Amino acid sequence: MTYVVVEACIKCKHTDCVEVCPVDCFYEGENMLVIHPDECIDCGVCEPECPVDAIKPDTEPGMESWVTLNAELAAIWPVITEQKDAPADAEEWADKPDKLALLSRNPGEG
Amino acid sequence: MSVLQKPTDFTSDQEIRWCPGCGDFAILAQMKKLLPTLGIPPEDIVFVSGIGCSSRFPYYLETYGIHGIHGRAPALATGLARMRPDLQTWVVTGDGDGLSIGCSHLIHALRRNVNIKILLFNNQIYGLTKGQFSPTSPQGLVTGSTPKGTVHEPLNALSVALAGKATFVARSVDTNAKHLGEVLRRAALHRGSAFVEIYQNCHIYNDGAFDYAKNAKIKANHVVELNHGEPLIFGTEQDLAVGLNGPRLETIKQRGGEWADKPLIHDETNQDSSLAQMIAQMRHPEMPEAIGVFRAIKAPTHNDLMPDQSPTTKERAKRLKKQLTSGQTWTVA
Ligand SMILES: Cc1ncc(C[n+]2csc(CCOP(=O)(O)OP(=O)(O)O)c2C)c(N)n1
Ligand code: SF4
Ligand code: SF4
Ligand code: SF4
Repeated sequence: MTYVVVEACIKCKHTDCVEVCPVDCFYEGENMLVIHPDECIDCGVCEPECPVDAIKPDTEPGMESWVTLNAELAAIWPVITEQKDAPADAEEWADKPDKLALLSRNPGEG
Repeated sequence: MSVLQKPTDFTSDQEIRWCPGCGDFAILAQMKKLLPTLGIPPEDIVFVSGIGCSSRFPYYLETYGIHGIHGRAPALATGLARMRPDLQTWVVTGDGDGLSIGCSHLIHALRRNVNIKILLFNNQIYGLTKGQFSPTSPQGLVTGSTPKGTVHEPLNALSVALAGKATFVARSVDTNAKHLGEVLRRAALHRGSAFVEIYQNCHIYNDGAFDYAKNAKIKANHVVELNHGEPLIFGTEQDLAVGLNGPRLETIKQRGGEWADKPLIHDETNQDSSLAQMIAQMRHPEMPEAIGVFRAIKAPTHNDLMPDQSPTTKERAKRLKKQLTSGQTWTVA
């Protein structure tokens, strides 16, 4: 099992999750974060930290494609271990549906 | 018989009751990665535990498990390893379970070199009972039961294990995935009693107790990794080392790329455990704390020493009766 970051994180990126992860397994893209499924220890401490409910256990239905995406991007993005300021327009994007098309595969700063 | 392949194959259907963020999750994750690599069918693996958050470990693995009574896991496991040498037997205990109520069971299981692998999750607190001090709590720790701070010196888990003559003694850190995985693998392969202390963060009652050994920014200056045959060098610049000065260990520093005093070379096969004891007793912040395998020696196991004492159940009953009525007995009127 692992936890995964899903669509709600795209263009939101509050990074509250990063501070609490005991194994530093969040990886940063330009406008989203992902969790490395092989490094996540399933401790669940990040789930309630996310202000937009973007972190889910992979046991929830419909998570398969997100697990694959998290694994794929974690392999190419840099690790992020410290919280940063959220993007200025994060609030605007928080509740928007269908953001997947906006996902940038470019790496973040880490 | 079945040999499982993936970590998820060892995941049981039990709902995990640890607090989110608990270090126990990290240890469980490494164990789930290790077990499929051992080539042992799950029905031939047993996890025996006592009482505590740590002792809930067996529930979460798809192997056999015994949630025993407080502090008695080593005794239960001794019996199991004695009669079922075909099984791989692990013990999971905590600093409370293993070093308070169960301390003598622990020492004697080690002394007998029973073929069991003992993992002691040291969070320096009683977690399950909501945060009382434990025998490993550092002096002065304010807890629910020590509002003015603990007054006594803590016990050192590895000193106890070495005093018990354990043939394999190691230490690792819950979230140091690679290191912990390797230490667990070495313990699994050891023949005889293996003892592993794992620094484990109790996220609720003693959060951050091992930050110096976990925080990526500072740990290099506070932790020295033991590798057999290699010097005890540490530090972000790798310019610090542990050296032996007369009867004590001290931190030495490289100057101009040269060691004025020689760094100590680690020998895990040393029959004499005196140096291992000294290394085990290095404490933060005065010294770096050592992780890795302190001692790994070959010695006959408990079962090796009693080869002719594994009779069948029927023979045992007969022998027992004979023994009980063999003189030295009398009837109380
Ligand atoms: C005979 C007995 N005495 C006391 C207790 C209460 N008790 C339960 S767990 C525990 C200590 C647990 O501490 P530790 O082994 O460090 O485990 P943790 O919960 O921290 O993982 C104690 C004292 C008990 N269950 N049984
Ligand atoms: S807290 Fe939530 S939205 Fe923010 S970066 Fe983490 S997962 Fe994404
Ligand atoms: S569940 Fe735990 S280990 Fe996994 S990403 Fe969240 S905080 Fe990190
Ligand atoms: S009380 Fe501490 S040791 Fe027990 S589950 Fe919670 S975090 Fe873990």
